[in-house]
Amino acid sequence: MQNVTLFCFFASYLCALALEVVRLLRPSDVCRWIALAFSVAGLVAHTIYLVVRSQSADLPPLLGSTHDWLLVLAWTIVLTHILMNAANRQVASGVFFLPMILVLVGTARYVSDAAETQQGTLYWWKMAHASFLVMGIVGTSLSLPVSAMYLLQHRKLRSKVAAREGVQLFSLESLGRWNWWLVVASVPFLTLGMASGVALSVLSRGTDQAVDLTSWQFLVLGGLWLLMIALFVWVLTARRVSGRIIAWRTAIVCGVLLASLLVLQVFNQGGVHGRTVSTLFEPIRPDPWLPAQSSFLLTLEELGP
Amino acid sequence: MNVQVIYCNHQTAAIQVREKLAFSQSAQLLEAYKDLRDRFPQSEHVVISTCNRIELYSAQERQEDAPTSIEVARFLAEFHQVPVDEFIGDLMTQVGPDAVRHLFEVASSVDSMVLGENQIVNQVKEAYELATQGDANGPLMHALFHRALQASKRVRTETRLSEGRTSIASVAVGDFGKSIFNRFDDKLVLVIGAGEMAAETLQYLKGEGVRRIIICNRSRERADQLALAFGGEVHPYESLDRWLGEADVIVSTTGAGTPIVDPQRFRKAREKSGIKPVFILDLGAPRDFDPLVAEVDDEVYLYDIDDLQATCERNRQTRQKEIEHARRIIDEETVSFMHDVHHMSTGPVVKRLRESWHELSRQELDLLFRKLSHLGDDDRRQIERSIERIVNKLLHPPLETLRDEAREGPPHGLIDALKRLFHIGDDA
Repeated sequence: MQNVTLFCFFASYLCALALEVVRLLRPSDVCRWIALAFSVAGLVAHTIYLVVRSQSADLPPLLGSTHDWLLVLAWTIVLTHILMNAANRQVASGVFFLPMILVLVGTARYVSDAAETQQGTLYWWKMAHASFLVMGIVGTSLSLPVSAMYLLQHRKLRSKVAAREGVQLFSLESLGRWNWWLVVASVPFLTLGMASGVALSVLSRGTDQAVDLTSWQFLVLGGLWLLMIALFVWVLTARRVSGRIIAWRTAIVCGVLLASLLVLQVFNQGGVHGRTVSTLFEPIRPDPWLPAQSSFLLTLEELGP
Repeated sequence: MNVQVIYCNHQTAAIQVREKLAFSQSAQLLEAYKDLRDRFPQSEHVVISTCNRIELYSAQERQEDAPTSIEVARFLAEFHQVPVDEFIGDLMTQVGPDAVRHLFEVASSVDSMVLGENQIVNQVKEAYELATQGDANGPLMHALFHRALQASKRVRTETRLSEGRTSIASVAVGDFGKSIFNRFDDKLVLVIGAGEMAAETLQYLKGEGVRRIIICNRSRERADQLALAFGGEVHPYESLDRWLGEADVIVSTTGAGTPIVDPQRFRKAREKSGIKPVFILDLGAPRDFDPLVAEVDDEVYLYDIDDLQATCERNRQTRQKEIEHARRIIDEETVSFMHDVHHMSTGPVVKRLRESWHELSRQELDLLFRKLSHLGDDDRRQIERSIERIVNKLLHPPLETLRDEAREGPPHGLIDALKRLFHIGDDA
């Protein structure tokens, strides 16, 4: 179990995606089952990886590191994809979900995997903050492929292409309803995540864990949150708007939010929590897919006096 | 075992002929089985009678007991009171493996008018059950029909012969309607016109759970009939604009000379309801909806008869491509079935040979045990087992050869040789 690496499940998801694409070109039950088996195998490896890391750091994966946090996010989407696949064997949901999963797992490889060892008295605040944000971001992440499916299905139906031809998808009614619920459910979680983050920052003022609320990273995140709020209000109040417009706007807003978040995590290690040099960061275990010397993380020992 | 089928179907006979020869009710068929038993007492029979085919399958142990096509034609003529001359030219006969292959093709829907349709499997099953009820079949027909259903299952699971819908109404509801709506029980269906196509489409929509149906038709009488058949409400034709705005599904089959709904009328009708998905099936020819109605907003999904016909045709072509694959499976199943039949014919000889050799070994063992009375039970059992193994090993090569020979056809030569070599009587 100790030998499970990021590469194991990344490769599994990649194989599953390749098979899903093959399935699109040549529908086959065998392909579908093998793709599902790869996804399940990936999920098992993914779970083992998170459990092992969590045990090593003696922290839940949500609090371990940005690396773990992104992997928890990806894990939730994999689970949704597998359940969706099991529920409807005709729909090629993997084509929409697996690329996002691969992006999240791939991004996790480039962010800090060092665990924060000091949790102190703010443990539960941190836990709530990370959990709310994960739930909110899972919602926005899922609404991206769901919107894409809606737009494709809409295009198919308007072009008079029958259900069995091309990519098979869920009905417009289902996709529209899921999209609506994902947006409506994720915004309160994001708001709670942001609010708990601000509270956490106030409570930890004076310590090296405090977040600077005037930093550009925080302002970017605040802007993205406001964008989601705007979408939320619009979705709830819009009356004479077609499902296609809702899907387009949802896809754009959620896409921008997710892309910005990932870019922030990669290029500004740890995002808003970024501390490029700190004694708090110590690698838990080197990732065999990621040689230690190529890590963005620098410990004080490596920097020298 | 001999098998033959004498039949006429949609490919060989006109509907006028098939109508005359069909067995429309179970009681009539049971009576026919009684007649067949009297005429051909050594044969087992199953009759498949549908709107597209009338087929009489017979099987018997001896070839000379098989009914000829003239005898079957005479039976049909007398039973239905139709002159033989009217249909004798339309009757086809298949014998042996060809008859088996024909049944497998029928059961697999390869021989159906609508390729890959599912109804035929049940019809074949019901025909067999009715023959059983009429005491007309036995082990031969049981084996044949059991294998036919097995072949049909293989074709359905291993090919895409039954995939894709091929009727306008089923494509409309199944392929398009269900891609728009997840459920239909909360949808309002508006039917404009009350033609046959409307009835067929409503049948599918009712199957999906539609509860509320509004019918607007110029002729009140036909609208009432449709409403009665499907539990709909009839509203005056003048209220059409109101329902155009409220309906989730619109089925139009008026057959008017010019479109009855243009974009302006439809946009105005939708003003009150707001933008919600509406699925329009324009089954009229000429069309009842101006094609520009589809451009009124993003949530209008308008399909005319040509759009649906194109999908039906594509589905038919997909099924057609699978036919070769289906025939390969049917050929495999036919060969396998015929092999089993031929092998079955060696059964009595094999049984007798085994019995005589084991009997011989038993006698020798009894003699031996009388001489060696000091042997314990355990020793006796060991010797018995050894002798049994020797007998089985000696029997194995001739029986294996017999089995191999049965692949090519009934191994009459070998059976005769075995009978002569080992003095097996003709009663075997």
